[in-house]
Amino acid sequence: MAKPLSSTVDKGVANSGALVSAFARQIVPIAPILVLIVVFLIWPIVNVAAKAFEDNNGNFTLDNFVVASQGVYAQAFGNSISLGIYSALLASIPGAAFAYIIESRGSEFLKRIINSATSVLAISGGVPLAFMFIAAFGVEGSATVLLKFIGLDLYASGFTLFSYWGLVLVYCFFQIPIMVLVFSPAVQALRKEWTEAARSLGASKWQYWRHVGIPLLFPSFSASFLLLFASAFSAYATARAMTVGTIALVPLMIGTLVDGNVIVDQFNLGKALAIGMVLVTAVAMVPYLLIQRRVARWQK
Amino acid sequence: MRFKRFAAAAVAVVAAAGMSLSFAAPSQAAINYCKVTDLKSTSNGMNGLVAAAKKEGQLNVITLPRDWANYGEAMDLFSKAFGIKINNDNPDGSSAYELQTIATATPDKQPDVVDIGVSALNTVVGAGRTSIFSNYKVQTWNDIPAEWKDAGGAWYGDYNGIIAIAYDSSVSPAPKKISDLANAAYHGQVALGGDPSAAQEAFMSVFAAAIAKGGSVTNIQPGIDFFKTLKQNGNFTSVLANGANYVSGAYKISLSWNFNGPGAIASAKAAGKTLKYVIPSDVALQGTPYIQAINKKAPHCAAARLWEEFLYSENKGKGSSKITAADKKLPGQALFNTIMGGQNIFVSGGATPITVKAMTKKGLLIKAPAGLDVPKTAKLVMPSPDNQAAGKALVTSQWPNL
Repeated sequence: MAKPLSSTVDKGVANSGALVSAFARQIVPIAPILVLIVVFLIWPIVNVAAKAFEDNNGNFTLDNFVVASQGVYAQAFGNSISLGIYSALLASIPGAAFAYIIESRGSEFLKRIINSATSVLAISGGVPLAFMFIAAFGVEGSATVLLKFIGLDLYASGFTLFSYWGLVLVYCFFQIPIMVLVFSPAVQALRKEWTEAARSLGASKWQYWRHVGIPLLFPSFSASFLLLFASAFSAYATARAMTVGTIALVPLMIGTLVDGNVIVDQFNLGKALAIGMVLVTAVAMVPYLLIQRRVARWQK
Repeated sequence: MRFKRFAAAAVAVVAAAGMSLSFAAPSQAAINYCKVTDLKSTSNGMNGLVAAAKKEGQLNVITLPRDWANYGEAMDLFSKAFGIKINNDNPDGSSAYELQTIATATPDKQPDVVDIGVSALNTVVGAGRTSIFSNYKVQTWNDIPAEWKDAGGAWYGDYNGIIAIAYDSSVSPAPKKISDLANAAYHGQVALGGDPSAAQEAFMSVFAAAIAKGGSVTNIQPGIDFFKTLKQNGNFTSVLANGANYVSGAYKISLSWNFNGPGAIASAKAAGKTLKYVIPSDVALQGTPYIQAINKKAPHCAAARLWEEFLYSENKGKGSSKITAADKKLPGQALFNTIMGGQNIFVSGGATPITVKAMTKKGLLIKAPAGLDVPKTAKLVMPSPDNQAAGKALVTSQWPNL
């Protein structure tokens, strides 16, 4: 992408008209997306960040961050981060295995079906997803009743959908399809020639995976993992519908602060929490970006 | 569809007729209703207000659920009687949403009137703040208790509710008081309508539990502890108490405002369930009244004032299904006197209207639906806004670790 511009400069034909047209060639096609990013990502973040340093009267303060890093709010960050990690772990491994099996063994027809199904499931979420699980695995849910009928009493064994691990379970429902969706291209990129080359050089199946397959897939795997982390870390509606706030999670606390009927006297605390989330996501994205760079190099 | 269009056309004709009438009377055209603070100060009273509101043709309301305190009927009746289209923005939104909309919406999307909780009110009124509301005193102003209105007319309480136990008829034994909810028979069946640190109904439910378990309006701790016990013994399920979850069997018992009863009972019936309401015998916890106010940026000043007059009207009159074409042709004052007043519409929705004392004295109060009336022996308790502020601090820090 960046070649036309740098080559013009290198040749010393630094005539401004050429530069402008090179600039136009690069910027104009992506202008709409740039506008979107500025309007829906950068501008809101800048706004929220600025407000996070204001008290209710608009004066500068660090109090919002002090409160946001203590007590129940600190605990919420801990819970949200661990929820993100656990649900990413539990979804990425089966998701990756599934993607590999489908891509390497499945028929074209099956691949197409799985592709459509995962696309739909990956964007399921929110209140409908929570309701689906409540209707199936709630105390009187259809699956619960069915299992009880065949002698497996879920709730007597201490299971409850309305807990931290219940949430992890529900999140897997959209996390696994996301994993299949984002990981399949990486599996497709594993060329058959590489397997054949390894085999003709006398590598065993294990050696192929140890020295070729896994090192090639690992960057994509970690990148997908981070994506899953971010998606569980920030999920809101499902958690809200299933916990009525009995588990401290950052998105729920922001929701309560911004849109609650009861607490409306701390306008900017929610914004400080939001900035905290942006920071956590940014930290998670650094390795993601580094990994993406390596992947891009290999896949050229 | 065709009927609707016909109706719309009819409304337009009526509105046009109203317009030509108002042009015929020059004194009316002079009134700027955005500045009117009292109907008595205008030359042609209710007739003029109704004509001006009809001319505006629209009313922007915000976050009014149809099932809530019978607002569905109030909106239908107002709309039908006066031929004014009601735009209801985000019916399930919160008080905070209402205030944010006033702060940020474009002029034509501004709500004309708001219905907000007291804690939200406290963020926009008080010393050193410029009021975001227009002063207006309805005709029944003197019937509103002094502690629930602004002396200048910026805001006024409209109705309140009592925390009731809502339960499915299959539950056995039927719960009678809040402390019953710990009964082992209710395993996995008790739910709340939200996060108490965010939803007023859930918050007041915790207050009710506190008082039932030896606490008081200044001590909400026993309420939090009670729900902790219910969570430990498995009775409390953190599923959101709402219509869909109830119908799916995710819970069977919840604590709810009595004024959500009629709507919830009807929805349950439509889904083949029998939902019952009972005011707990150990405590009848009264919510602080919700607050009405006219937005200073109201795009429909006359309709906003007519809506308030309607909500505070104590009339016993016709409901939306009884209004006839002939009624709609009546002059403003006569039409206003013909229709059911908002205060009684709240009553039939299970809520307690703010003018209840005056109405009882005047014999204007209609009868509340069965099960939703407050027993005479009930122990009425109302946490003040200060009590609530103290209680919410405790709930905010403890609820996430229930």
